[in-house]
Amino acid sequence: MALFSQTSQQGFQALLWKCHMFWPVSRCRQLFAASFSVPNREKTNYLSFMTSSSTALPVDPKETDVLPTKKRSEIDCKEGKGWDEETKEIPEGKFRFSSSLGAAKKWSMSHVQSRHKFSNVQPPEKPLQAEEWNKLREDFQSPEIFEEVMLNSMIRCNSPIDVAKSLLTHLAKRNGDIAYNVLVKYLTLCVQQRQVSEIRDVYDIMKVRFKILESGAYNLLIRGLSNSDQWRMALTLLEEVKKIMIPSRTCYESCIKAASRHQEMKLAFELYDEMLAKDVIPTLDVLQSFFDYSRGMKDAELQKELFGILLYLRENQIYPHKTFMRSIKLWFESIPGGNWRGRLTNIKDSGQCPVCNHQLEDSNLTEEEYSNLSERIVRDVIHGTDTFRKTSPQEFEAFQTFVENRLPFDIVIDGLNVSHIKSRKMQCENLFDAVNCLAKENARLLVLGRKHMLINSSNWKREIMKEMQNKADFFFAENISEDDAFLLYATLRSGKHCKFVTRDFLRDHKACLPDSLTRHLFRKWQRGHQIVFFPSAEGRSMKFLPAFHYDCVVQTTGDTWHIPYKDVFEEKYSYQVPRKWLCIQQK
Amino acid sequence: MQSANMLLRKTVRSSVLPFAAQHRMQKDLFPLSRALSLSLCLKQDKSCEPSEKLDLDEWKKVMKSGLQEEASETVSEPKELSSLAAARETLEMWRLAGRAVPENICEEELKTFMECPSKSAKKKYLKYLHLKELQKKNDKRKMDEKRERRLEAQNQASKTDETKKSSFVCVWSSTMDKAYNWRAAQSMIFGQPLVFDMSYEKEMSVREVTNTVRQIVLSESCNRRSVDPFHIHFCNFKDDSLYHREFIKQYREAWGKLLITVTDQCYTEIFPKDKLIYLTADSPKVMKTFDHDKIYIVGSMVDKSIKTGVSLARAKRLGLETAALPLDKYLLWSTGAKNLTLDQMMHILLTLKDTADWKKALEFVPKRKYCGFVSKPVKELKKTLDLINILKHGKGREEVQKQFAKSYPKKYKLK
Repeated sequence: MALFSQTSQQGFQALLWKCHMFWPVSRCRQLFAASFSVPNREKTNYLSFMTSSSTALPVDPKETDVLPTKKRSEIDCKEGKGWDEETKEIPEGKFRFSSSLGAAKKWSMSHVQSRHKFSNVQPPEKPLQAEEWNKLREDFQSPEIFEEVMLNSMIRCNSPIDVAKSLLTHLAKRNGDIAYNVLVKYLTLCVQQRQVSEIRDVYDIMKVRFKILESGAYNLLIRGLSNSDQWRMALTLLEEVKKIMIPSRTCYESCIKAASRHQEMKLAFELYDEMLAKDVIPTLDVLQSFFDYSRGMKDAELQKELFGILLYLRENQIYPHKTFMRSIKLWFESIPGGNWRGRLTNIKDSGQCPVCNHQLEDSNLTEEEYSNLSERIVRDVIHGTDTFRKTSPQEFEAFQTFVENRLPFDIVIDGLNVSHIKSRKMQCENLFDAVNCLAKENARLLVLGRKHMLINSSNWKREIMKEMQNKADFFFAENISEDDAFLLYATLRSGKHCKFVTRDFLRDHKACLPDSLTRHLFRKWQRGHQIVFFPSAEGRSMKFLPAFHYDCVVQTTGDTWHIPYKDVFEEKYSYQVPRKWLCIQQK
Repeated sequence: MQSANMLLRKTVRSSVLPFAAQHRMQKDLFPLSRALSLSLCLKQDKSCEPSEKLDLDEWKKVMKSGLQEEASETVSEPKELSSLAAARETLEMWRLAGRAVPENICEEELKTFMECPSKSAKKKYLKYLHLKELQKKNDKRKMDEKRERRLEAQNQASKTDETKKSSFVCVWSSTMDKAYNWRAAQSMIFGQPLVFDMSYEKEMSVREVTNTVRQIVLSESCNRRSVDPFHIHFCNFKDDSLYHREFIKQYREAWGKLLITVTDQCYTEIFPKDKLIYLTADSPKVMKTFDHDKIYIVGSMVDKSIKTGVSLARAKRLGLETAALPLDKYLLWSTGAKNLTLDQMMHILLTLKDTADWKKALEFVPKRKYCGFVSKPVKELKKTLDLINILKHGKGREEVQKQFAKSYPKKYKLK
């Protein structure tokens, strides 16, 4: 009977689902439109940050490597930082290496939004007379922002510059002055079309008219000039910006690219170092351009600098994407007399590179790092601002004595997490399977749980719990305590050989660590010590992904380099590591 | 299509587009959409004589000529600016560039702006000031309109000049205030205590404290207006704390005359421990009924970034009983955090005290956060809830399940 009712329920639901498909399109739209304030932003639209720390660089997930790099450098890059960019709107048709976040934020400004609704305005194709502009303006629904809307649409349609000029002339005649934001929009159009003389004219006018400019205009000017043969002027402009503020990374990017395009590598690296010194984070694009433009040069100094960039990737646990990786490979292979040879490969679980049989660095932390991490876990994750938030002092003390009396463990299991592996099964059975599976190898096990597991219930059978307690040590925390923090503590206290079992990514605990360096350490340790369980199809057996034996970072031995890279298409969170590697050997 | 073609032909003939006529342009140079947008002005505008050739760089001349006079002035100014003046300049430029920046900014705000640690913090602060400014302007406009309307009404009244006789005595607000204050005074002696725990200052930013105080002011006023007010206690209240300063800003001279108890003592020192119940959304225990002999504690804290377990930790430390409102039990929760604002909390507690009716009390939970009130336990209605969500948001099933898992703890999971 119960079964029947359930199926009928489901049937009803399925029917409704189908109805959903049969609705006319307009009705569907209404429904979606009515979906309250739930922003329909794709969850998958995350930044592909290699790490969630502030040192990470955004990479556009949509970026394909179909584009040859030469062409890419001509494409307008735009960092979706929102702040510097509000004054320039980049046409949709362009590629953007932007963080989706910034772009999304950008439209949250209400006044921008109101302007955005006029995106259907068509700019004229020919320069118009003043009277004609007047006429158009009067017919426009909100005349006070007519010029802005018109210029925006010109930027979008990439109208000829003369049309914009005729509008400016009309404005100048009418008001005797042109507003700053209109000038900036005109400048955007000039930069888009590489009208260098125009850019210079606008700059001259702006300089006399305003004491200082704001970052948006500076970005545009520097980008416009750096793409021309007057790129040195962009450098002088950059100096000017420095007097007022910290230049944005787009400014630096334009200047560095211009310098390296003209083979002024020394200058480019000076700018790069200055950028790092000011805590301005370079885009992957800049780093890639260094490799692209240094191809075929034989210069020990330059080589050292580029190795420095690779080490920068290592320090910050950044994984280059495919095109960047290709640039690195080509650069290595182009070094005259270097005899470098790059091959793409997948590293085995053992951590041996199939191409050169070199054993990759293991994922163990140094003594100092290890003790540092242990200390920070206790201080920041377990205690934090208030020990009572995750546990209580008495409970933590009890746990500490419990652990000290039974050290060392080989495997620490998050009981509740593992008990949910198969939803069809009783929770205690899941846990029992896992414990049996791991206990075979004579390992010393510690299972962490909460007190409610001890109460006989449909999910937690007392007999099974009893049986399990013969095979492993159990610690039951209070029902309102955090068991994950105990898991980390017990594993770290047991020493380097100890592994832990949970399907949790531990993101919230990583976030408790205040500085990125420790967060990197935590991730590295996690990769090397976490075992992830999977249920397998047949009956009782369990599969598990063993912990990484090798460390997944850019690494070198002097005559070999191993660089992990990612396909840009695959999504990557901070806990995922790429499986593909570039192996570079010196013959 | 034909009519459009006709129109195009007309426009070409109309000699408004001299270049078109001269260069024998093809009609299809004008795509339809554009022709429509231009056609209006073209049809009417036949007087325009196309004799003059457009000088496209004329705007530069205009700009530069206008600048000659200004330039001489600007040169005389000293080059070096103080940092404050420089910040002002930057703001001015941002305003010109069309960003959300306030038009007028005082020294203090400017200093706050300069102390912002990051670009995004600066941006947020400016946007906040900008919105505040807009609001002020709008309020002023409305006030002026109101005043005008009132004047008109008075003029109308004086014209008609009829003295209305009313059998009711006009009760002025001051009289009402007196009545409310009597009630509050009674509650000070006989009322059930309600404690606001003022120990969260360290966990909050300045803006959060401001919001907290504003919410408490609202709660206090609705308590005063109720039939049977609570006796409000502010416990752990430090003199000259940020809370204190904000309260004085809000209440001005009324702060000294409030009919509440303010103390720097902890609630555990004033009341017996077994009577205290700390209300927190993180509590594992759910409140079933409102108890008239217990003393409820509300943490005065606004957390814009949700800080779980802060108030629960306080209660744990002191070994107090905790309780959460039975939101899951009575409401089909859809979105939003389950921590409510202090004034909503106050309304709910007052309603419970007077009526003991959960349905009435939970009316004060914002409507956007739930889709309905239920009498049956939620897990029986899970399927229906799924359906509602699917129909409402057009989301996929997994999405809804995730949402459900977020809103409801594990104990409601279906097997």
